Amino acid sequence: MTNGNVGGGGGHGPQIPEIKLPRFGGNGLRTVVVLVLAVIAVTTSFYTIDPEETGMVLRFGQYVRSTEPGLHFKFPFGVERVLKVPIQRQLKEEFGFRTLKAGINTQYSTREYADEANMLTGDLNAAMVEWVVQYRIVDPYRYLFQVRNVNETFRDMSEAVMRRVVGDRTVNEVLTVGRAEIALAVQSDLQVLCDQYETGIKVDQVVLQDVNPPDPVKPSFNAVNEAQQEKEKLINQAQSEYNREIPKAQGAAQQTVQEAEGYALDRVNRAKGDAALFTALYEAYRLSPDVTRTRLYLETMNEVLPQVQGKVVVDEDLKGLLPLLNLTPPAKKDGGK
Amino acid sequence: MKGLLIVPVVILLLLVLNSMYVVQEQHQVIITQFGKPVGAPITSPGLKFKLPMVQKVHRFEKRFLEWDGDPNELPTRDKRFISVDSYARWRITDPLLYFQRLKNETGAQTRLDDILDGEIRNAIAKYDVVEVVRSTNREPQQSEALEEDNTFLSQISSGRNVIREEVLANARTRTADLGIEILDVEFKRINYEAEVQRKVYERMISERQRIAERFRSEGEGEAFRIRGEKDRELLRVRSEAYREAQEIKGNADAEATRIYAGAYDKSADTRSFYEFLKTMETYRTVLDGQSSLVLSTDADIYRFLKGGR
Repeated sequence: MTNGNVGGGGGHGPQIPEIKLPRFGGNGLRTVVVLVLAVIAVTTSFYTIDPEETGMVLRFGQYVRSTEPGLHFKFPFGVERVLKVPIQRQLKEEFGFRTLKAGINTQYSTREYADEANMLTGDLNAAMVEWVVQYRIVDPYRYLFQVRNVNETFRDMSEAVMRRVVGDRTVNEVLTVGRAEIALAVQSDLQVLCDQYETGIKVDQVVLQDVNPPDPVKPSFNAVNEAQQEKEKLINQAQSEYNREIPKAQGAAQQTVQEAEGYALDRVNRAKGDAALFTALYEAYRLSPDVTRTRLYLETMNEVLPQVQGKVVVDEDLKGLLPLLNLTPPAKKDGGK
Repeated sequence: MKGLLIVPVVILLLLVLNSMYVVQEQHQVIITQFGKPVGAPITSPGLKFKLPMVQKVHRFEKRFLEWDGDPNELPTRDKRFISVDSYARWRITDPLLYFQRLKNETGAQTRLDDILDGEIRNAIAKYDVVEVVRSTNREPQQSEALEEDNTFLSQISSGRNVIREEVLANARTRTADLGIEILDVEFKRINYEAEVQRKVYERMISERQRIAERFRSEGEGEAFRIRGEKDRELLRVRSEAYREAQEIKGNADAEATRIYAGAYDKSADTRSFYEFLKTMETYRTVLDGQSSLVLSTDADIYRFLKGGR
C-alpha cells in the first residue's frame, strides 16, 4: 500500500481539553496538570513534511491549507490535523504478479495472481497479460476527498480498462505486434477514467510485462515456432542447392561457348590460309599451266605409285579384264604385257 | 462553596461540548431531533453547532464509494457461461432520502447487490459473448511476417460500452429514489466458466497445430519450388550455351565456305586447277601399300609406254 498516511475514517467530535480547571487539590496537582497540557500542546502543534510529500491541513475537518516539505506549526489539541500525501513519489501498481523481493535478482510471484492476468481477446481466445501502471498523485485534495479507497478503485479501473482494450484485439496482436499500442491505449483510457472519477491521479506509464498464452496452450505455440524454423530450414536447404549448382552450370556454359568461338577462329583461319595457298599456287600455275600441271601430276604419281603393290597395266583396247586378273595381293607376276 | 460550584460547571461544559460537532471534508451530515430530520443536510466541512442532547448527528460519505460485485456465472445469449466480475462507483446525493430508505451503507450495498447483479444478468443474457468482450469494430493490426497467424475479428453490433451503458441506465432509474447516484458500472473481469475454458484451450491448441502444419507444408512446397526453379535454370543455361556455340560454329563454317569459294570459284581456270590439285591430293591419301591398281595404257602416265608419241 502506498497511501499509508492517508487517514480515511469516520470523524469524531473534537476532544476539547478542559483548560480551566477548578482548583482543588492544591498547587502541586495544578502544576502537574498544566505541565502535561503544555507538553501535549507542544507535541501536537509541530509536524514535519518529508521531501516527497505535501501536507494537507484540516481545521475541524475542513481543508484550510497545504504545506511544503519542512517543519511546520499547526493549532494543537486536534483543532488542526495533517494528512500527508506523497505527491512527488512515482507510485506503482502491479497486475498479474507481485514483486516479492526487489533488487538485482528480483523475484516475482505470479501463481496466485493468475486471475488478474487471465483475460479474453477479441477473437475469444485467452491470454495471460501482466502489466504495471506507474502513476503520480497530482491533486492531493481530490485524491483524499473525492473517492474512498482510491487505491482499490484505481486497481479496478486498470483491470477493467486493460480488459476492454485487450477485448478489442486479436490474440496475435496481444501476444506480438500490438503490445506497444495496447499499452498506449490503456494509458489514455485509464487517464480518462481517472479524470471522470476525480481521483487526482496522473497516469505516467502503462508497461506490459509478460504476455503469454495460457499455460495449457503454451506448448502448441512453441510448436508453431518450431514449425516456422523448420520451414526456414527447408527453404534454406533448397536455396543452398540452387546456389551450389547454378553458378557451376553457368561456368560450364561459358566454357562451351568459348570452345565454339575457338573452333570458329580455327575454321576461318584455316580457310583463309588454304585460300591464300591456293591463290598463290594458282598465280604461279597460270604462268605456264601445261607444264605445271604435268609436273604436279608426275610428282604425285612418282610419290604414290611406288607404294602401290599390285599394278596391272592393260592395253586400252583390252576388253574383259576379269578372267585374267588375280587380285590376291602378293601376285608378283607381270600381268599382261 | 467551591464544591457546590463544580456540578453546574461540569454540566454546562458537557452541554457546550454536546452542542458542537465537526463535519469532515469527506462527509455530509443530517441532524435529527428526536428521530425527525431537521433542516437541510450540511455538506460544508468545519465546526458546527446544534441543540445539545435533543439533536443527533448522522454522518454520511460525500465521496465516491465502491461497489464490488461477486464474480457471477452468467449465461449469454449464445448459451455460453461466462464469469463476470464487475464493479461500480456510487455516491450519496440525497443524504436525507438515503437515510430514510437505506439507513446506512450496509443497507445500501445490499440494495446495490440486488439491483446491479440483476441488471448485469439481464444485460449479459441479451447479448452474445463477443458483444461483451469487444467494444468496437476496429480493424485488427496484422503482422506481415506471419500472415497465417492472423485472425480476424467478427463484427459486433453493440459492444461492451453499449451493454455497460444499458446496465447503468437501468440501474440509475432503479436507484433514483434511494438518494444515491451510480457514477458508472464496469465489467472488471470476464472469463469463461471452467468447462468452457477447457474447450477454448482445446480450440486454441488445434488452431496452433493447423498453423504449424501450414508452416511445415509451406516450407516443403517452397523447397520444391526452388528445386524446380534450379532444374529449369540448369536446362536453360546449358541449352543457351549450346545454341550460342552452334551459332558461332555455323557462322564460322559459313565464313570458311565463303572464303574457299572466293578463292576457288574465281574462274573456270581456278575451278579446274582446284579440281586437279584436289585430285592429286586425293591420290596421295587414297593410294597406299594395300592398294592394287589397274592402269590402262591410255592413262597419262603410261601413255609413253604404248605409243611413244
